[in-house]
Amino acid sequence: MSRGGADRTGRAALPLVLPAWIALGIFFLLPLAILFVISFGQRATYGDLKPISDLWTYIASGKLLAQYARSLHGIYLQIFWRSLWMAVVTTVLCLVMSYPIAYYIAVTAPARKRNLLLGLVVIPFWTSFLIRTYAWMFLLRTEGLINRVLMGLNITSQPMELLYNNFAVLIGLVYGELPFMILPLYASLEKLDLSLLEASADLGAPRSSTFWRVTVPLTMPGIVAGIILVFVPSLGQFIVSDLLGGARTILAGNLIQNQFAVARNKPFGAAIAFELTAAVLLLLYAYTRYTRRRGEDVLL
Amino acid sequence: MSRPRVPAWAAAIALLGAALACARRDDPAAIAAAAAEKRLNLYIWSAYMPQDVLDDFTKQTGIAVRYDLYDSNESVLAKLQSGVADYDLVVPSDYMVRILIHLKLVKPLEKGRLHNLGNLDPRFLDKTFDPGNRYSIPYVWGTTGYGYNVARARGALDSWAPLFDPANKGQILMLDDMRECFSAALKFLGKSINTTNPADLKAAADLLKKQKPLVKTYNSSDFEHILASGDVIYAHGYNGQIAKVAAEEPGKLAYVVPKEGATIWVDSVCIPAGARHTDAIYAFLDFIMDPKINARIVDGIRYASANAAARQWISPDILNDPAVYAPAESLTKCEFVEDIGEATEVMDEYWTEIKAQ
Amino acid sequence: MRTKGRFLRAYAWLVYAFLYAPIAILVIFSFNRASQTAVWQGFTLEWYRSLGHNELILTAVRNSLIVGLAATVIATVIGTLVALALGRYEFRGQTFTKNLLYLPIIIPEIVVGAALVTFFGVVALRLSLLTVIIAHVVFSISYVAIVVRARLSGFDRSLEEAALDLGARPMQTFWRVTLPLILPGVVSGALLVFTVSIDDYVITSFVAGVGATTLPLQIYSMLKVGVTPEINAVSTLLLVVTIALIAAAQRLQTPPTEGLRD
Repeated sequence: MSRGGADRTGRAALPLVLPAWIALGIFFLLPLAILFVISFGQRATYGDLKPISDLWTYIASGKLLAQYARSLHGIYLQIFWRSLWMAVVTTVLCLVMSYPIAYYIAVTAPARKRNLLLGLVVIPFWTSFLIRTYAWMFLLRTEGLINRVLMGLNITSQPMELLYNNFAVLIGLVYGELPFMILPLYASLEKLDLSLLEASADLGAPRSSTFWRVTVPLTMPGIVAGIILVFVPSLGQFIVSDLLGGARTILAGNLIQNQFAVARNKPFGAAIAFELTAAVLLLLYAYTRYTRRRGEDVLL
Repeated sequence: MSRPRVPAWAAAIALLGAALACARRDDPAAIAAAAAEKRLNLYIWSAYMPQDVLDDFTKQTGIAVRYDLYDSNESVLAKLQSGVADYDLVVPSDYMVRILIHLKLVKPLEKGRLHNLGNLDPRFLDKTFDPGNRYSIPYVWGTTGYGYNVARARGALDSWAPLFDPANKGQILMLDDMRECFSAALKFLGKSINTTNPADLKAAADLLKKQKPLVKTYNSSDFEHILASGDVIYAHGYNGQIAKVAAEEPGKLAYVVPKEGATIWVDSVCIPAGARHTDAIYAFLDFIMDPKINARIVDGIRYASANAAARQWISPDILNDPAVYAPAESLTKCEFVEDIGEATEVMDEYWTEIKAQ
Repeated sequence: MRTKGRFLRAYAWLVYAFLYAPIAILVIFSFNRASQTAVWQGFTLEWYRSLGHNELILTAVRNSLIVGLAATVIATVIGTLVALALGRYEFRGQTFTKNLLYLPIIIPEIVVGAALVTFFGVVALRLSLLTVIIAHVVFSISYVAIVVRARLSGFDRSLEEAALDLGARPMQTFWRVTLPLILPGVVSGALLVFTVSIDDYVITSFVAGVGATTLPLQIYSMLKVGVTPEINAVSTLLLVVTIALIAAAQRLQTPPTEGLRD
């Protein structure tokens, strides 16, 4: 939202936004449009596209939406549900895990240490995501560090199956997304007016009440931003389920990757990709409505 | 400030346009220059070329070699289909060679420029996927059976049975490869791996679905390490890589081509249609078909090569390793993977169902 | 409040432990003599030494740096401009711009990667380091815009207006008033882009050409072929370098008001 507006007309903004429009228009919107068109096509025997001789007959025969129709039932629907479920669980876990530590850094810890503590949160993410995922495999495998320690301390007698299952995938997902939840929460919590909390306590509200009825509502923008920043990537990811899940589970991301890389069915892969995108855009729309009601946009 | 008033964005666009123009080189002069350029771009399986052989090639010819690795045939197809990958040589498997030929993604060999073709083993020439070897030169061959931990494996270790046995739950690794998994299932059921019979395919799919809960992980790239590290007892996999880890700790692991049969495959070198560095390509092909060099490659990667003349130079322990140079009797029921055309889509749906369970 | 503080602190350290466990493993085992196992077999620097000879890794690092720097510079410029527009003006197409900027973040990477490689095929642009740079710029602009925009929302326009009233031309005002004030945001945005670019695997795997292997691609193929602690060594080095970079950036960043005093 701009401030003090009347002296600056909208025209001055044009050269500022033009580079972004051009860069994103040509190299983002256009490729997506091409992919979108492909999603209405059919795969030829060897994985290229079947040429369409007559457009009207093609549309009339119902083949136009064939890829979308195919993707919306049976196992594919199952795969969407499972991805949705994984993303929801990941987001909830991230939220629950992140809130206390964000609170600690923003409110409890001494102010001069805040940058350091925040930096400590971010630094792990300066190593390669792949390597960190691999490090988890190293920790979780049958002869990995965790099992060795547990067995060495006689806490367990048999190695636990910690890898190549949903548990490992969740760990990988939560681990990867944590800073994207901590940072927005921190940003919101930092702006929190502590005197409001004190007032609430002074008025006799128990701590939990203060938390749920003052703190949480006031930090809602941060919570919502964090949810979006975590939920969306979790929906489309496939590396974690590939490496940590032992390629045993197919999530939406794996499906798309599979269609493009292995099954060579670009139209089908494109259709699924756009369905995923549509789901996410719906979320974005809901988010924009939410922020418009509140009168502030947390991100842009 | 008296700076020239060229808007930043206009300059950026101009720069970008110039860069884009440089990236497209279609004119004849550029083509000829590229053909003679001392550079070679390889796209090859991850375990297929020892670095020292490449270094020697560079030393001998002055041609710099760059390479990218892949672990599935489909990656080759995807890259070549994009039309904008810049590889000079690829090494696809049999059925993929046929697909690439059909899609005109590879170009014919100029046999006149090749001097070492006589060294090749006739067993692997003139196959159905490339009659007359117009497009491909066989490089390496092998089988896809399974490796197992000698001390901990039980059951009929000459058959596919242990990999489908519920008693071995959580101890099995399967390749993350649709055709290979289906081949294992089809062979166990006594069918051809190239069947397009819907009933056969469904039976194999059902078997694989029943097997899924028993499988610890699907992995096509470092299955041999997962076997060696003890995470699984039985690992579906390609013979050479299993032979390699088996050789590191003699007696711990073994490889078997099941009696019901397995896939036998030959990977061949092909020239993508858009390959530019033609001189370097033919120099390299002659180089790797030289018997002594070829033998060094075999020693390094522990896969059997399709070069007959190289046999006299290969280390005896590799020649005598049944996991590498499989004895003829074990190969009688083995089949080459062939393209099954439209049935691929059916198989793909089954595969998705299996993985999605 | 005391007990709550202690619990929270203990909890925070637990989370830090969780965050750093894999990193610690990474660093420690980069010094391990053994190649594959989880058993400690003695301290050694050989992996760091062999790193110096590993052509593949060195080329990959070089490529990653080239792409990272190029993408950072381009994306930071474009993103800062757009953030300025969004933060100061009301203009037609404002909502369109905002949504356009959200899209690259929100659309799954794999979709963007697939779309880009298809697009490059259609316009017959050969895959190379350039295509990687283009791809990285595309998804980075949004990050810069968001970060700089955040910085702008606390921005006091009166400083700019004062400069203009005092006779400074718009360009002068921008370089000597606005830019120093938003610089922390711009630098943060640039750092963010650099981080994301260095670590990107998915999109890069679609659009990289031969010889354009970046570090994540190289790591991925090494992970698949067989891990040696050289990977640990290169990660540790990267970690140390990036920490040093951030620390240096923090030192160099002067608080906004200081820049105006001279």
